[in-house]
Amino acid sequence: MNWDRRAFVKFAVGAVVGLHASPLVPKLMDDSAIWTQNWNWVPNPEDGALAFANTVNPATGTGVKVCVIAGRLKGERLIRVEGNPEHPTSKGGVVPADASALQNLYYDDFRVKTPLILDQRTGMHVEASWEQALDLVAGKLAELHKAGQAHTVAALGTEAKTLDGELLSRFMAAYGSPNTSFNVSAADTLAMAGWAMTGDENLGFDLLGANYVISFGTPLLEGFGSPVAVRKAFAAWRKDFKRTGTLVQVEPRASVTASQADQWLACKPGTEGAVALGLCQVLIQEGLYDRSIAGAALGFEDGDKGMGFKTLLAKNYSPGQVAQISGVPVETLITVAKAFAKEPKAVAVCGPGNGGEPGRLLDFMAVLALNALKGNLGKPGGLVARQPLGLKPLGEATAYRGDKPRLDGLGTAKRPLGASDHLSLAKGALAGAPYKVNLALVAGGNPAYASPQAGVVRDFLKSVPFVVAITPYLDESSSMAQVVLPCGTFLESWGDSLTPYGGAVSEYGLHKPLIKAYDMVKSQGDVILALAAKLGGAVAQALPFAGAEAALKARTAGLGELAKLAKKSYVVQEKPAYGNLSFKTPSGKLEFFSMNLHNLAVKLTGEGGMGKVLKAMGVTAEGSAALMPHYEPPAALARAGHGRLVLAAVSSLRTPRGDQPITPYMIKVLDGDTLANNDQLVVEMNPQTAHDLHLYEGDLVKVTSTAGSTEARVHLFAGAAPGMVFMPVGLGHYASQNAYTYRRGGNYNQVAEATADPLSGLPTWGLTPVAVSKA
Amino acid sequence: MSLANRYSAGEHRFGMVIDIDKCTGCGGCTVACMSENNVGVLYDETDKIRSITWMRVYQVDNGKPFPETQVAFFPRPCLHCEGSHGHHTPCVSVCPATATDYDPQTGIVSQIPTRCIGCRYCVGACPYHARYFNWFDTPWPAGLERPLNPAVAPRMRGVVEKCTFCYHRYQRAKNKAFLGGGKVEEMDYQTACTEACPSGAITFGDLKNPNHKVAQLAQSPECFRLLERLGTNNKVYYRTTREWVRRLADNYLKDEKPGQVAAS
Repeated sequence: MNWDRRAFVKFAVGAVVGLHASPLVPKLMDDSAIWTQNWNWVPNPEDGALAFANTVNPATGTGVKVCVIAGRLKGERLIRVEGNPEHPTSKGGVVPADASALQNLYYDDFRVKTPLILDQRTGMHVEASWEQALDLVAGKLAELHKAGQAHTVAALGTEAKTLDGELLSRFMAAYGSPNTSFNVSAADTLAMAGWAMTGDENLGFDLLGANYVISFGTPLLEGFGSPVAVRKAFAAWRKDFKRTGTLVQVEPRASVTASQADQWLACKPGTEGAVALGLCQVLIQEGLYDRSIAGAALGFEDGDKGMGFKTLLAKNYSPGQVAQISGVPVETLITVAKAFAKEPKAVAVCGPGNGGEPGRLLDFMAVLALNALKGNLGKPGGLVARQPLGLKPLGEATAYRGDKPRLDGLGTAKRPLGASDHLSLAKGALAGAPYKVNLALVAGGNPAYASPQAGVVRDFLKSVPFVVAITPYLDESSSMAQVVLPCGTFLESWGDSLTPYGGAVSEYGLHKPLIKAYDMVKSQGDVILALAAKLGGAVAQALPFAGAEAALKARTAGLGELAKLAKKSYVVQEKPAYGNLSFKTPSGKLEFFSMNLHNLAVKLTGEGGMGKVLKAMGVTAEGSAALMPHYEPPAALARAGHGRLVLAAVSSLRTPRGDQPITPYMIKVLDGDTLANNDQLVVEMNPQTAHDLHLYEGDLVKVTSTAGSTEARVHLFAGAAPGMVFMPVGLGHYASQNAYTYRRGGNYNQVAEATADPLSGLPTWGLTPVAVSKA
Repeated sequence: MSLANRYSAGEHRFGMVIDIDKCTGCGGCTVACMSENNVGVLYDETDKIRSITWMRVYQVDNGKPFPETQVAFFPRPCLHCEGSHGHHTPCVSVCPATATDYDPQTGIVSQIPTRCIGCRYCVGACPYHARYFNWFDTPWPAGLERPLNPAVAPRMRGVVEKCTFCYHRYQRAKNKAFLGGGKVEEMDYQTACTEACPSGAITFGDLKNPNHKVAQLAQSPECFRLLERLGTNNKVYYRTTREWVRRLADNYLKDEKPGQVAAS
């Protein structure tokens, strides 16, 4: 055959037709698509039998099921955290911190896998055995004890009443140091308010039973109590497309709660307490209040202690006056108060602030007063007293028996009430008065990053010659430690959690080791107990447990067998303890004028000096009003104005508050109005306020307070109150081991300034005067 | 048009009703979805053009000045469009590699990464931005590959991915039903986001089965779909009582009232 033009065309056409008819082309394309994707660096997760184990996430209070997969070659691993539908309060459902918990568990670079000891020559941590590390720490502690310096050891824990907290407190008391501090929380403030007015420290809000809820400045849907459980109540108010419950939110920003609420009362910052008092006054002037309990309460009418609560309200908190203070219109106050009085199951709620701060005691007292006037104490859908679960103590009460004063001044005239907190401890230690700290034991948390005014706590830890950190993570605090002892996350260790803030029923959550992700990691309790055993003597006697499991067994002896309990992972009371509250106050009645507070002040100074004590505690009101719910303008506001704005926090469930590190998934789901391009922090401002400062959307600004400063991009948000700047919390980690969270935005706690709350003395950091300037 | 008649013949039409008045924007659904479907995290996730979120929660606001401002959230999975005139799902009709397909039995728009040739026509065709292209390989550094779910294959760079209504869960439920001799019940097949939502804002099920809750809820006049007038005839219904939220779901003219304008 001649290879001419015709033959060539025939061949070409034939080839094209042939190729189209054959499966060769699709086959090759398919193969090449598969082949180009067959790269060995794309992981191939091993399959295996699935099983579920129950546990409770102590950080969120969510009851969860963890999916365990048993791989044939690589063994067991956890692959998912899901909600546990059987858990009585969280009933299934998770928040981002639950669903992404495995990312913190399995991130090798971020985890402490073995004990680490700082090499003084290189400044690097080197791996050590448990024996070496414990010997070093116990040796140091014994040395200080021998030198009579036991009181110069400070411990910074996370939660006082959990197993880990109790073990730490006992350890420190038996060792001989008064300086143990824990994170402050709104539960402390609520306990104080309850103690002052009802004598009961375990009050809760029956959200699930209520159908009218007024929330005063607390992020009910963004971080109040157990977020999943709160959402169950919220979902019940919106069941099947019907609105059966009304939510009213009082706060200065169009937050998620404010937007989801049926009514938003936009008040000026820090005036939520005044709004509560204004509502109280409307209830009284309209005759809509409960006369049997509130009307008969101590200090309601004028009496021998001076002006009564009723007169105080009429004098200072008429709707007109409150409208002046808070900016909420008179008519709105009256309609809301009337609706609140009319609903049979209505409750007023107070709680943590947006930055996680513990709230203001006087505001909490005002909210309790409002509930009392409503007459919902002990009623379904009202304010209830939780019944204790019956946890056994870990042994005889051990308290510090020495004569050295606490560094945070707790229990002195300046701070007679109050719970401990890291910031006051750090301030006291930095001042060196009356002594400095020689050894700091950071147990479980990350105070150098997460405590209020974190810069102060970081400086304090820097100033301490020997820092020991017991932690699962290589975070800001452990990077400053001489010795780092690895403890497990809640998925790999024994521990427990108590009723989330404001819960109407008592809860107990127990977590157990579900997996051994790293061989040398122990439960935090085990580490404290091992240290106690090494020290011997009184410390070992106060903590006679073989391990955290044994300690839990002793603690939960009244709740049944530990193995069964651990399998179920929770004990939750069926329903709130309804029935009238039995007031454990000195008068045996509800008290608007708090005798407990009065007696405490008298004890400190005698009747004559009471005014002075109260002044020292930051209360400016005179006479009987000082010990009654009243409104004190926040100290921060007095210094705002003159070109200064008021900084407040934005809380969200996509960013954690407190010690729990943010996870990669949580960083990922942040929108551009929280974390802008190139990982820059975003602050919200009202367009008018920004205009006045000549700032535009996306401008880079520097937000500066007396505590510190950070850079951020401006986002104009009409829902932000004028004159304020709103900053997200939980960002701005600077420990470089976690590549996903390192330098993502700035840290709110670095900028926010903590001031002592009047009366409670707790640090509060919700409002800070700041200067905002173009960077 | 009644709900069942909106869709073509086929045994099931799985869909969702999302109650915007219940959604609190917590992100639980998004994170649960990522952990279920092995969606990874890049080191810079603030570049949202390259960030992959099968279930993305969009925040919107009513644009009113203080103190009348309100925000709301639209959780947006793949909406699994069917098209209103026969089979015409926007992404399926443009895929040259049959990497995405409309399942006539379930109404689920599938996505098969290993078939995908990375042309991204579907990304452009999707009116909801529900499709994502893997510009990079996902890093799974330092042990982070351990929690990967074996039921879903991790993807590589160069392919498109999107929400599949957790199809692997349907397969698992079908296997279980087959072995047990029963049928796939409503609660046997639920997506990860539905299970995760702590407020119960998402309801998932078969829109063609009148016994399923989703079919009952979707009939409500308060329910609507995103960009309904495009004729995508999708299967994710949203619900709100707030008119401003509803107006944002489509391009309404000033004098048009949502709910009174017929979908094409």
